[in-house]
Amino acid sequence: MESWLEFAKGPLFRLTFAIMLLGLIRIFMLDIWGIYKAYRKAGDKNMPWKLVLSRGLEWFFPVNRVARNRPFYSTFSTLFHIGLLVVPIFLYAHVKQWEKSIGISWITLPFDWAYWLTISTIVFAIALLMGRMFNKSSSFLSRKQDYLWPILLLIPFITGFVCAHLNVNPTYYQFFMLMHVLSGNLIFILIPFTKIAHCVLMPLSQVVCTIAWKFPPETDEAVCSTLNKKGAAV
Amino acid sequence: MNRVQNTKIILWLITGFAAAVGLNRFIFGLGATTNLTDSTPWGLWIGFDVMGGVALAAGGFVMTAIFYIMKREEFHPLVKPAVLTAFLGYMAVILGLLFDLGLPWNIWHMIIFWNPHSPLFEVGWCVMLYSAVLLLEFSPVPLEKYSRYAKIRNFLMKFRFVFVLLGIMLSTLHQSSLGSLFLIMPFKLHPLWYSNILPIQFFLSAVALGLMMVAFESLASHWLYKRKPETSLVEKLGKTVVWVLSIYLIVKIIDILAAGEITIVLNGSWESFVFISEIFISIIFPIIIFSVPKMRRNIKAQWIGSFMVVFGMVFNRINVGGLTMLSITGDSYTPSWMEITISLGVVSAAALVFLFVIEHFNIWDLKPQDPESLPHTAPSFDYSSHAWLGTPDAASLTKFSLAFVLSFAVGMALMPEKKLHGKGIEEITVSRASGIERLLINGNKDDNLVEFPHKEHIARLGEDQCAQCHHLTLPRFIENSCWECHTNMYKPVDYFKHNWHASSSGANIKCDNCHVEGVQRESKSAKNCVDCHPKYDFNNARFIGSQKYFAISYTDAFHQLCVSCHFIKADELNKQNLTECKSCHKVKIHDQVAENLKWKTTLPHFNSVILPNIEKEKNQSEMSKDEKENINN
Repeated sequence: MESWLEFAKGPLFRLTFAIMLLGLIRIFMLDIWGIYKAYRKAGDKNMPWKLVLSRGLEWFFPVNRVARNRPFYSTFSTLFHIGLLVVPIFLYAHVKQWEKSIGISWITLPFDWAYWLTISTIVFAIALLMGRMFNKSSSFLSRKQDYLWPILLLIPFITGFVCAHLNVNPTYYQFFMLMHVLSGNLIFILIPFTKIAHCVLMPLSQVVCTIAWKFPPETDEAVCSTLNKKGAAV
Repeated sequence: MNRVQNTKIILWLITGFAAAVGLNRFIFGLGATTNLTDSTPWGLWIGFDVMGGVALAAGGFVMTAIFYIMKREEFHPLVKPAVLTAFLGYMAVILGLLFDLGLPWNIWHMIIFWNPHSPLFEVGWCVMLYSAVLLLEFSPVPLEKYSRYAKIRNFLMKFRFVFVLLGIMLSTLHQSSLGSLFLIMPFKLHPLWYSNILPIQFFLSAVALGLMMVAFESLASHWLYKRKPETSLVEKLGKTVVWVLSIYLIVKIIDILAAGEITIVLNGSWESFVFISEIFISIIFPIIIFSVPKMRRNIKAQWIGSFMVVFGMVFNRINVGGLTMLSITGDSYTPSWMEITISLGVVSAAALVFLFVIEHFNIWDLKPQDPESLPHTAPSFDYSSHAWLGTPDAASLTKFSLAFVLSFAVGMALMPEKKLHGKGIEEITVSRASGIERLLINGNKDDNLVEFPHKEHIARLGEDQCAQCHHLTLPRFIENSCWECHTNMYKPVDYFKHNWHASSSGANIKCDNCHVEGVQRESKSAKNCVDCHPKYDFNNARFIGSQKYFAISYTDAFHQLCVSCHFIKADELNKQNLTECKSCHKVKIHDQVAENLKWKTTLPHFNSVILPNIEKEKNQSEMSKDEKENINN
């Protein structure tokens, strides 16, 4: 188990982390490239940039239109996101690992904060998952990956909590640590290729939506004729 | 997928892989990525990327000379690709050089700090000036596409002839000055490759290589894009290259004969084998292929002939640039896989830029096109993933960037951990001292030992003074020996062994047994050793830096202990020779070891090493009375 752990923390981590980092940069650049191409082809080049920006920023704030309709969901989601980002990045043990391998370190979470943030993330993730399962309109819209993602994200948080805060014997410790590292690696690989890519694509979403309405009115008919389905509904 | 797309994906994969290795080279340094040493500082990167890259770029000056000066108009279609290759070749050289330079950020120094006596100064300036000239020479081609740059383009076109002349001049100078670089190392280069006329040989071979590189590119683009082959032009190039190669061969033969080195050619050593195969591959076979008219016209023969010249001449540059120096220096150097990757990566990146430029600008009269990225191709699904990758141009971007990202990640994963953190200090586990009354301390077993009169130290210091030297910490030992904790000759070691304590196969202890509960788990918040090991006696022991859980190296431990005491005693007893190194390090080497060293000194690379004075061990009986007394005192 120790050598598996070494492998998962060393080569496997470098592989998955590089895929995540470059993969996110890649899809961001490809999106920008697509937007640029679409903008060049758009018939109406007057983009309401200010509106796009303000709408984009609106989505970053927890209190928005969704908060009015579904206050619990938006609060839980915000708190879940805070824990999801803050704990892995600022955890003392994680920062120490970075410092040991490449010599870079940054501020770390106090011990108690890390403890409560981890618990809150686990609780909110379960709450969100329940909400998705039992709310009719949510479950109607959900795909398989929407259920699998919260479960996958829970694994490193639970195993990490066991390793960092509970007193377990070395065999269990190593097992939980291996699960922690492997599930983390799996998440890294999947991020750029699944819906979690919204972590970098989010700021562009409003631009994409706006540009879609900027083509000439005949575009849909042209699409149909290209596909040999003249007269069909788009 | 078609041929162009497949080739490009392979090139992107190699480039991505090399980018990961390159990143590590710049973060962790040359030691972590290469097998270069102080005696072999020039390896694959210099031999292949720099020397080979410059030679491959020779097509630029050869073709411009043929077209502009000799006015051979029929070669017009080959001039632009040749200049492009030259430009990209030089860019690759500069990139390769940046990897190889120990302090690459100082590359601008040669502009300000002149050293006109250095051949490298000439080489550096030639590369810089010629790259600039090539950029000016080539830039009208891409500028042609944009009407807003018409003024700049017209201005450049006006002075085109000046650039061409400057280019030919600088390139001629540079090709030969790479040869003169090696004139200053007659004792390092193997005699078969060393010659007083090395600059002339380099220039001649560069002309031949330049011609054949242009031919090779024409053939490769014909294969890749299914263009109409330029058979007649390649045939004419082949005809010319026969003459150049013949002159080169004659010069080489005369040089070997005049230097009286014909016996070395035939002596059957690996160098002679390399030399003969180089001559056959780069000169004799191509001469045969291109002098028979029927073969010269055959496209397959053209492929083989041009590839042989390109391969053979680059092989020659690798031989001169370092490979044949190994027989003189006696080093064993094999390029690490990371060096090979970076060399391939530089070539792939240059090839990708080449393909991009020929697809987007008017290099040939008929622009070659990637059939899948034509604007009117119907959008299609990717068969392997059943995913729609977007419009044709977006689809290739998606594929290529994915190839780059994946191979970059694999490159990061394959980095050997030890290389990543540097080899650092050599790890030598020490062996314990032998003897009872008189200890022979020889931790790394190199027979440069220290003879330590233990019994006499006890007699001088007193029987109850063990703790002056010994830590007296380990249980079940009356006194513990140095090697038990200071286990490494030159490196500090973790004598606490955290991983062993926390491992199920070791002590199998839970975290909170040592760490305080509810606080960050780190060494500061952990319990002391004595809390679990009450028999450990720290109070009576000489103990330095116990809180760090590190035992200093075996060498440091002895030096700190013995030297500090010897300094005090030297003043007390007024015996200044106690502070000298030789008071403990009485080098005694056994006959067998001396014999081994004698054999080693016959190796050529040992000539530069100054060995310490070997004092042969004298038998006790041979010692004079004074000497015996000296030792006893």
